[in-house]
Amino acid sequence: MSAPALLRVVLVDDHRLVRSGVRAELGGDVEVVGEAGDVDEAVAVVTASAPDVVLLDVHLPGGDGGGGAEVLRRCAGLTTAAGTPVRVLALSVSDAADDVIAVVRAGARGYVTKTISGPDLSAALRRVADGDAVFSPRLAGFVLDAFGAAAGDVATTDGELDRLSAREREVMRLIARGYAYKEVARELVISVKTVETHVSAVLRKLQLSSRHELTRWAADRRLL
Amino acid sequence: MTATAAPPRTGCAGLPRPPLQRAGEDRWLGGVAAGVAAHLRVPVAVVRVSLVGLVAAGGAGAVGYVLLWALLSPAAEAGPAQSRPAGEDAVPGARRPRERWSPAGGAGGQLVAGVALLAVGAAALAQRTGAPVSPGAVASVCVALAGAFVVWEQLDAADRDRWLTRAGGGAADGAPRLLVGVLLTATGAVLLALRGEDTTALRPVVLAVAAAVAGTGLLLAPWALRFAAELRAERAGRVREAERAELAAHLHDSVLQTLALIQRRSDDPAAVTTLARAQERELRAWLYGGGPGAAGSSLAAAVRAEAAAVEDSSGVPVEVVVVGDRPLARAEEALVQALREAVLNAVRHGAPPVQVYVEAGPAAVEAFVRDHGPGLDLDAVPPDRLGLRESVLGRMARAGGSAAVRPAPGGGTEVSLRLPAAALGPAAAGTAR
Repeated sequence: MSAPALLRVVLVDDHRLVRSGVRAELGGDVEVVGEAGDVDEAVAVVTASAPDVVLLDVHLPGGDGGGGAEVLRRCAGLTTAAGTPVRVLALSVSDAADDVIAVVRAGARGYVTKTISGPDLSAALRRVADGDAVFSPRLAGFVLDAFGAAAGDVATTDGELDRLSAREREVMRLIARGYAYKEVARELVISVKTVETHVSAVLRKLQLSSRHELTRWAADRRLL
Repeated sequence: MTATAAPPRTGCAGLPRPPLQRAGEDRWLGGVAAGVAAHLRVPVAVVRVSLVGLVAAGGAGAVGYVLLWALLSPAAEAGPAQSRPAGEDAVPGARRPRERWSPAGGAGGQLVAGVALLAVGAAALAQRTGAPVSPGAVASVCVALAGAFVVWEQLDAADRDRWLTRAGGGAADGAPRLLVGVLLTATGAVLLALRGEDTTALRPVVLAVAAAVAGTGLLLAPWALRFAAELRAERAGRVREAERAELAAHLHDSVLQTLALIQRRSDDPAAVTTLARAQERELRAWLYGGGPGAAGSSLAAAVRAEAAAVEDSSGVPVEVVVVGDRPLARAEEALVQALREAVLNAVRHGAPPVQVYVEAGPAAVEAFVRDHGPGLDLDAVPPDRLGLRESVLGRMARAGGSAAVRPAPGGGTEVSLRLPAAALGPAAAGTAR
């Protein structure tokens, strides 16, 4: 990684208070190049400024009522000036699994709750900008539950989309226990890069899997 | 919700199909053909010709037309069938009356007079051609019309207006349809009146009843349909109102009270945090339902309840993630109690964030409590003052499980608890999924 320039970030949240709070928390770590309060505004701002990362609220008014997932769909394929894709980190107070799964499946690179601390958020933004995935303990819990990993249902071959591999499951469990990537790496005696690879693989499975339970589960289980 | 049913919103790809409804403009009769054509995106002429063809070929077209006419709602006023927000725009009262036949200014009277003249003329014509129409029949027509006129006059202008609009389905063709209905009804009545003089055949009676029924039906059907729709709308409105009232009551009892408390205690950040957390949890539980079972029935609920209790008493946030669930039996109770002690310990001696992870699988129930404090070495703590040893390790051992305390890799302490399947009750693994 080269000496990181200031990340260019767009904040999307319908509450001005939350936006200014997040902006204050982030301090000088990133450059906030735009803000938006609804779906249409967000699409316009993101398209115009092509930031490195969009910090996107899951629940947004406007547009066709699709919220954050709609912004993701309408901004799909955008790239920054440097040619990297515009990446999205979902931010939510929502615990509703279907909301979270919806934005992740629409292409968000991760999901964090609004209670996240400033430094953690900066780190998460940077990680997303680098193309990695960011999982909160809660999202890891979602994933383990949705993929039936608690029941020991693990993939035996690579490339299987509907189940986690044993290693991925292990990584998810540690994240759910509150381990940072660094700590996961130390615990499993692997490199941080490998942890990131596993997490990205899980993210891809989450986005691509057609596991029927995933859909049903997300619809049924609103609390976790 | 996988693909979250995204309506294609690119301009060219696919305009949403206009809803199937009777057309407001470009209509000949009821607007059925135009409406169907708009929905199917074919020229109106095609639909009309097909309809006529179907009518000619055995009458199916006519039946279909009438059915469609009765079942489809008329197009909304605005624009050529643009999809509007699927809301309550169908409130009939809100519909701006189109040009319709107004009974004001004596037009009603004129109509009745005209009908009377028409009837007299028809009777005269029938008599001349030798049809058996007696002067009595003409008299009965006149009586019926007079009665109708009296009733008409009794209704005040607003009533008449509404009645007309409704009888006509609120559409431009209201007047003709009303006319046909009135004529059919009158004909039926006349034929009925004739029955006494013409008893030779039963046919006219049947015909009369049929005509009367048809006329009445024609008059009342749109009104009845609309009435049913209104009833539905009103019931939905009542349900919404009740929901809103419940919501308001709940917010008042919980959120508003908490906000008031927070304002009063704004000089005490810890108290404010505790209040806010507790309120957040309560609101979440309310919004997203009670979760899988209330506390006391499932492991997940019990874990959440204990964590919430610790959070409330200490003011330190405790993040809980539970994967899987199972019924709460004796062994699980022990685990929850041990977990509670571990969380209390983390809150007291560790540093936030305190994280709890519980996984209920078929092979075992595992629980982890992690804090970010300075760390704790179990062996370095004198045995006489370690609540953890007895309340956590001892408890787990008695329940047939195991527990361990160790430093977490990034600093802080992690307590892990484990109940193997053998220690769990007969309620076999992961049943409460």
